[in-house]
Amino acid sequence: MSQLQLQRTAEEPLLNIQQMQFWLDKAATWGQAESPDLQKDTCLHLSRLRDFLQQLLTHIESMSSTTETMKKLPFLGQFLGRLCWNPCVTADGMSRKLLFQCLWGLHSEHPCNGVERKANQWIRKVFCQLVTEEDDATTCTLIKHVGVPPKEYHLEVLRKTVAMLQENIGKSCNSFGDIDQRCSCKRILATSEACVPLVTSPEAAPLIGSLLQLPMTCVRAALSEDFLDALSSAYSSQCLSLEEQAVVSLWYHNLSSLEEAVLMLMESVLNNTESTPQRLEQQVAQSLLPKACAQHCIIFLVVNDIFRSLLKQAEGIELIKCLIQTFTNRFLRELAQQQCQASVSLKAWFPQSPQGLLVPLLTLPSEMPQEAWRRHLNWLSSSLQRLTEEEEEDGEYGESSSSTSLEGHHKVFEAWFLLVQCAHWVQVAAQLLVTSGPEDIGPLLWLLTFYHHPTNGGHQRGLQLVRVKEAWDHLHSTFIVSAPPFPVERLQSLIALLSPQSQQPTSFILSLLVNFAVFSQQPLSGSTEIFQTVVDGSGLVDEAASLLSSLELKLNGGSCLSGDANRVHLRIKALQHTLTRMHTAASHAENPAHTYTV
Amino acid sequence: MRCVGSGIHKLLDSGNGNDRTRRERHMEAVLKNLGSSVELLAVAAHSCVVEQWDKQTLTRAFHWAHYCENLFSRFHKNAAIRRIMEKQLQLTNQTLGATFPAYSEISFSDLSQCQHLLLVGLLNNPDLPVSIIKILFDSEKTAHAKEREYQDVTGLCSRIVLCKSACKLLSPLTDLSAVGAADAEVQGAMLMERLGALLSQGSEACEPELFLDSILQGREGEAEHFCLVIAAALLTTKNSDAETAAQDFLLDWLRKKHKLLQHMCSSLPPKLLTKLAKEQQTFRNSYCEVLKKWASDMEYSVTEGEWVQTGTNQTVSFQKLTEHFLALFSTCPSQRKDVEKELKALKLYDGYFDVRGLSVWGDLLSALNS
Repeated sequence: MSQLQLQRTAEEPLLNIQQMQFWLDKAATWGQAESPDLQKDTCLHLSRLRDFLQQLLTHIESMSSTTETMKKLPFLGQFLGRLCWNPCVTADGMSRKLLFQCLWGLHSEHPCNGVERKANQWIRKVFCQLVTEEDDATTCTLIKHVGVPPKEYHLEVLRKTVAMLQENIGKSCNSFGDIDQRCSCKRILATSEACVPLVTSPEAAPLIGSLLQLPMTCVRAALSEDFLDALSSAYSSQCLSLEEQAVVSLWYHNLSSLEEAVLMLMESVLNNTESTPQRLEQQVAQSLLPKACAQHCIIFLVVNDIFRSLLKQAEGIELIKCLIQTFTNRFLRELAQQQCQASVSLKAWFPQSPQGLLVPLLTLPSEMPQEAWRRHLNWLSSSLQRLTEEEEEDGEYGESSSSTSLEGHHKVFEAWFLLVQCAHWVQVAAQLLVTSGPEDIGPLLWLLTFYHHPTNGGHQRGLQLVRVKEAWDHLHSTFIVSAPPFPVERLQSLIALLSPQSQQPTSFILSLLVNFAVFSQQPLSGSTEIFQTVVDGSGLVDEAASLLSSLELKLNGGSCLSGDANRVHLRIKALQHTLTRMHTAASHAENPAHTYTV
Repeated sequence: MRCVGSGIHKLLDSGNGNDRTRRERHMEAVLKNLGSSVELLAVAAHSCVVEQWDKQTLTRAFHWAHYCENLFSRFHKNAAIRRIMEKQLQLTNQTLGATFPAYSEISFSDLSQCQHLLLVGLLNNPDLPVSIIKILFDSEKTAHAKEREYQDVTGLCSRIVLCKSACKLLSPLTDLSAVGAADAEVQGAMLMERLGALLSQGSEACEPELFLDSILQGREGEAEHFCLVIAAALLTTKNSDAETAAQDFLLDWLRKKHKLLQHMCSSLPPKLLTKLAKEQQTFRNSYCEVLKKWASDMEYSVTEGEWVQTGTNQTVSFQKLTEHFLALFSTCPSQRKDVEKELKALKLYDGYFDVRGLSVWGDLLSALNS
């Protein structure tokens, strides 16, 4: 080692002497006896021990030879040797790995003195003993005579032990609240503590699953916090091999792993740039979260809180709204299945939502006659309108108490959040706009405008309404009144409405266009022509395709099915086909240009 | 090799000519593979050639060891083929013994643990490169653990260490008094299975007995763990005639091993003993005999004012003896009448005095009824 390196080591030692002494003492104490308390102490120190072993490994690797290492850390061999015979340490995957790496680090490829030769011999002996040593001579003789390979034998014993413990903890008592009653539920705590090193082991997974799913009917039957923390960190590094139901129970017990799961879902949705509604639906279902939410109200409340804060930060991001809609839809289906068994009031799941709106919005369109849709939507629209007006009045006149204003604000947000979750009614409103006459569109347009622009900053909603009404007039006269050939200037003005410079709510208008193309009585050829020209002219092919497939998914889901489902389905397919052709044509046209630029 | 060939002739006489040659050739190939695999084991344990081994060599070696394990499980019930293979092993052992001074012979039953023997041999070989140790002790991949079709040697030892450590960690938590230890249960079930196989294959009558004797091997006095194994074996649920036969055989064998039986009665947890007595009539009778034997070995100590054991086995006090009887009666009430009748007869033989310290039977009777 050069002078420079030595200096560096002297200035900033990789290992702190006190720390080393602490762990030496710990290892010695743990090795003294096989008592439950010492075992518990080891389990509780595991995560810190892992960090220390990692430091130790870095230190060993930075040394030039084993002789040098032994000079610096004369007790190292003794320390590692003790850990090798501590079942808590060797049962834990990460500690075992680091421990073995430290031992290899001390093995010299070309030993150049007696110390290194001796160290090599010792390391080999340790590895050999770890595998071959049996505690009991009778066991050794017996498995040899019975003709069972030791590896299979040990695996079988482990499985049997796991099964026995599962049975054991299953016999928990039912003395909730009665502290004086004697019971043996303390063993649940002890078992969960012993499982800390085993959280990633597939063989222990059934026991861990049983522990997590125990009905907590006794005050003494608590799970160790260290056990839950270990599970949580293994969960976030995706090293767990638990069954679905056990994972749900883990979320129930451990908030951070639940948050982790929601974040993972959001990341996977937001990072997937080519996300289709079908893919989104799949991701949501695979996340297992809707099912977990339907089983445990508390999980739903947490997930909803995360969604709520996400929406507050990014109200305009369509993908997030889609995620929340898809999620809620899936959740409601799971809940309907669960509710067959136990009926819990909806109020418990949506405590913050305006209660008057709760049932009307959560009701699926398919659950009421089609003739009632319009009246229902008109009612929803006017209720929401009243809510926003109340808030604005409070804001203007009630300035003396800002808490009232905040409260009103909160109410409007919660109403909008619920509308986002129950966007099936938003779809029905868009659908009905197509077949409405000018005299009927007011409430529907207001509802949709509120959905797209919940905050009325600078009293913009009035202006938005005027613009959307103008767009609706254009679409209505094109799709409903005209017949081919369509006047060019009419199509041009539609394209202009959708252009990014137009100051118009383009995504809203585009969704109106899609609904007109699908639901109007205009013959398919005419509809396709308008749709193709406008989408092509405005350059919104991808956006239109996404809206179409999302519409298809909603209709397939059955939540807002219209009477002539078959016709609608065929029209969607035809429009999708048109878009695909446009896409291909566009990429063909682009490709030569690409070759030039490259 | 010639004598082996003639053995196959006899074995396969029933087949037609063509079939016979085909099978003969197959058997010759099998024997050749067996010989080479055993040679491989010897090389792994004793030769410096392992220095050149890499992951591929290692995987292949384990593949062949696995092959031998398969040979064992396929043919251990077939006495004829087994004899032929034993002959082959004998030949190979002779050659290898001459080559490697430290060589220890491989028997037919060793084949069942071939991979383990290979592993032990390798780990004890000072020339084994550390790179191979690293492969064996590497951290195993937990994902897709179930899908692993052909076994990967990577992490083989790490998995064994995990299993052993996990057992050590969890076993203190199992409730010993109620169900017994997991290892004893697994061993008991394995013991039953092997015994059942030995009995059903119609081998020589002495073989099952030799099998049990070889496990006991002079540990009769201190076989604490073996007692638990036997108890677990006798308590395994009987699903077939073969299993019933195996348990009956074990009970019969146990009846003849007085020392072991006494040890069982004094060392097993009382709950386990009464469970056994309830399930197995033969054991109940033997248990009663042991208890009576303990009583008959007692003498009244005037200084202590109590009955004490006179023999070398002084572990059981009069109080303990009474508890044994009472526990037995509470699980098998029918036993009470018979035992009391017997004790009365013995008391009568002693003179039927109702004075404490004159007859152990009389005092036992009054202790049981107080």
